[in-house]
Amino acid sequence: MARSPAKADFFEASRKAVADHELHRKLQSASDRHLDHVDETRAEFPPFESERDTARRIKEESIAHLDELLIELRRRLEENGCSVFFAADAEQARNYIVGVAKKNGLKRAVKGKSMTTEEIGLNRALIEAGLEVTETDLGEYIVQLRGEPPSHIITPAIHLSKEDVGALFAEKLQMPYTAEPEELTAEARKRLRSAFLGADLGITGANFAIAETGTLVVVENEGNGRMSCTLPDTYVAVVGIEKVIPKLADLSHFLEILARTATGQKLTTYTNFINGPRRAGELDGPREVHVVVLDGGRSAMLADPVMREALYCIRCGACLNVCPVYRRVGGHAYGSTYPGPIGSIVSPNLFGSAAGHLPFASTLCGACRDICPVRIDIPRMLLHIRWKESEDETRAIPWPRGAARARSGVVRFARLARHPRVARMLGRIAGAFLRPFARDGFLRRMPPPFNNWTAVRDFPVPRPRVRRDTAQEADSSGRVP
Amino acid sequence: MDEVALFPTCLAEEFFPEARDAVLVVLERLRLRVRVVRRAFCCGQPAFNEGFRAPARDLARRLVKSCEPGMPLVVPSGSCTSMIKVFYPELFADDPEMLARVQALRPWVFEFSQFLVDVLKVKYVGARFERTVAYHPSCHLLRELKIREQPRTLLSAVNGIRLVELGDRDECCGFGGLFSVKFPHISGAMLGDKLARIRASGANTVVANDCGCLMQIRGGLHRAGDAIETRHIAEVLAAR
Amino acid sequence: MAEFHKLIARLKTALESPAPSEPHAASSNSAASMPIAPSAQRVELVSGFAREFEAVRGSFLGVLSPEEAAARIASLAREVGARLVAVGEGVTLDAAVFTHALQEGGCAVERFGKLDDGERPAALERLARCDIGIAEAHYAIASTGTFAVVGAPARPNSLTLLPPISVIVVHVERLVLDLAQALGALGPDLVSAHRLSLITGPSRTADIEKRIVLGVHGPKTLYGAIIWPRNG
Ligand code: SF4
Repeated sequence: MARSPAKADFFEASRKAVADHELHRKLQSASDRHLDHVDETRAEFPPFESERDTARRIKEESIAHLDELLIELRRRLEENGCSVFFAADAEQARNYIVGVAKKNGLKRAVKGKSMTTEEIGLNRALIEAGLEVTETDLGEYIVQLRGEPPSHIITPAIHLSKEDVGALFAEKLQMPYTAEPEELTAEARKRLRSAFLGADLGITGANFAIAETGTLVVVENEGNGRMSCTLPDTYVAVVGIEKVIPKLADLSHFLEILARTATGQKLTTYTNFINGPRRAGELDGPREVHVVVLDGGRSAMLADPVMREALYCIRCGACLNVCPVYRRVGGHAYGSTYPGPIGSIVSPNLFGSAAGHLPFASTLCGACRDICPVRIDIPRMLLHIRWKESEDETRAIPWPRGAARARSGVVRFARLARHPRVARMLGRIAGAFLRPFARDGFLRRMPPPFNNWTAVRDFPVPRPRVRRDTAQEADSSGRVP
Repeated sequence: MDEVALFPTCLAEEFFPEARDAVLVVLERLRLRVRVVRRAFCCGQPAFNEGFRAPARDLARRLVKSCEPGMPLVVPSGSCTSMIKVFYPELFADDPEMLARVQALRPWVFEFSQFLVDVLKVKYVGARFERTVAYHPSCHLLRELKIREQPRTLLSAVNGIRLVELGDRDECCGFGGLFSVKFPHISGAMLGDKLARIRASGANTVVANDCGCLMQIRGGLHRAGDAIETRHIAEVLAAR
Repeated sequence: MAEFHKLIARLKTALESPAPSEPHAASSNSAASMPIAPSAQRVELVSGFAREFEAVRGSFLGVLSPEEAAARIASLAREVGARLVAVGEGVTLDAAVFTHALQEGGCAVERFGKLDDGERPAALERLARCDIGIAEAHYAIASTGTFAVVGAPARPNSLTLLPPISVIVVHVERLVLDLAQALGALGPDLVSAHRLSLITGPSRTADIEKRIVLGVHGPKTLYGAIIWPRNG
């Protein structure tokens, strides 16, 4: 699969990321700026909450009738003149697109921002087939120049400062160093404009596919998505099966919440509607439109009543910005196309057990569910994945030693806790035993399996106490004598 | 209603006896007789959250059987309360008999501050606590149980208290049960930021409704040699 | 195609697992017919649109008659030193009024008609060299400051994409309150038959440290005007 993380990679990668204070600062400030905008736009739009409910309901209904909707979507797209290909997995999708490129003798591809094409590892396949592939979303362009995958599904270069980008452009584009976003953007515009005009293949994802009209909807701010689906003669859209919605009228409910949560805008700058190739005599649009509809593990999620909810995701990216773990480790540490809370749900489903640690890397704080525009209950799904993982011996993923100890420790603790009296007695014994080693009630260092606790904070010595018989007064320091 | 049950929770029993005692003090001052649940020790959340439902079920069964619907069960912890109220039904989804018991018990289970404000309709408990306090809302309290205002209502009615805000969007302190020892580096980074917010707020005391958060924050402050103190909310309400 | 039927079969099986199966309710409650605003409401819509349009960094030219708009655009072209201006066919207006004003002001005007595939690359290059592109929108949305621009052979979609300065006008009767009304007014038939873009402000990015920069790929400057004919 695209970039399956190696085993136990998340531990390594997240440890490095956490130690990178500069990364931490960049993630925090960009995320906070995003969340402030989201707060503002939501506050000035009273129907926001009811739009969330409506959008969620439409998703529930759409996903529950996915088979019928896809049949209708295909019919309508074909009526509009598109070629529709259903890909069971990433490989089929890649092969089809490479086939189209070969058949038409295509050389230069421009891409709009699309996580689905990241998911199927399309760029590499095209490059290996001899095409030149240019990412045209500014953030994607930046990470492509660095030879990196995006670290955020909305803001691909969120892990970079303007100075980082300045240094990168100076090196790769041979321009004089500047850290001015204006100037950097202007340079990228110049370079990418000629890429657009010279491209013979345009590729984007799609945010929605409307069954009723056979229309793909691509939402963006820069205009690169619009260019990619307007200028090149061949256009390919890669769309997950879950993107289909029934009717044109349903769309407004999603658009009203998507930009508000994704970027804190009321609406993104461009909402592009793509139905098919250009008609005779028209200037705009490709001659051929190929819509690749991707399963890639999604139907398995559909079959799981709990995981199904993940298919409601509209990829707004807000759960990443609000996640205390993402905010500290960044996107790359997840080793998956989809990082952050929603990524921890879909990655094990799409990429298998290599992403198995991710569902455990959460405090279950619930901030993601609160911000999610379609109210996806991510913590609940994380729990479900954990159950599957922990209770099915055959799926057991390898844990680093400390984590493995903690896991068996918690089971042992639970067994012990079945005997409250024994547990309390052991607490007293442990307290009495440890007290001599403590400094004002705390231990600085502990042997395994507790050393992971004392790695970052002190450990209070247990001080169990039997119940007092009557209430005692507490003094104003709050201590009960 | 003049008798209530109190489930102190394992962390309070082992590490925060003063929190447990303070809950007793406050409840008894409100003229309630308190029956402490001694036949159960832990709600089962640590194992449950890690994905081990069978051992969690054993503990949950014990706790449910030690309590009676009809008598309020007060729990001085947001996460243990949410374990019972929110997650027990999931835990026993395939066990109709236990599920029925859980459903009967659920409406009688209250987090401590919720019980005071929503059930007893108490705001002022005659407490005096002359310190500058930053309140840290624990995640399960806030986002599973949606208990946002109750603790603030109680704290703001304490004599002599000065409340300050952390201003960090109620971010998690990084405890997360086993998360704290499986991913100590991430947990520690979250803790570090929380401590920075606490210091910047000018508080000399941090108050929370969950012993898990308190253990994390207290451990972090102690490691840093910081004089800022940590208190369970009940300790503040019990102070005179 | 075998893969398609396999997929549908997979989905059917997947959907057999316990799941809610409410009737596939047409969730559309807002497929309203074209809401033409009575004039009392128009003023509100106009001021709402102007406010939102400016909020997304559009430059609002005002509420103008077609002739005033033409004069305003011609003077704009002079101010920015435009030499080549692309003008699309009108929706309610006769675009000739813009063409004349521009030509009188000394600009060359690029118009569009049906073209052969062979002419396309050159036509695109020419359009990309234009300093300004002028289009009339089908609708405009007051609550978001958005233009709904529908493409046609004589009004290409890239008219509002390739030139660095974009001017979009809309007839006052085609101002609607919100997105739902706009989609309702456009309707499924129009949407499935034409290239439609909703345009909300100039092209922008926030990809570098979340700082907003305009004009990354599309126009850096977007002018908007509402056309209210004298006798309207
Ligand atoms: S899960 Fe929700 S918040 Fe996260 S990306 Fe998807 S829609 Fe957005």
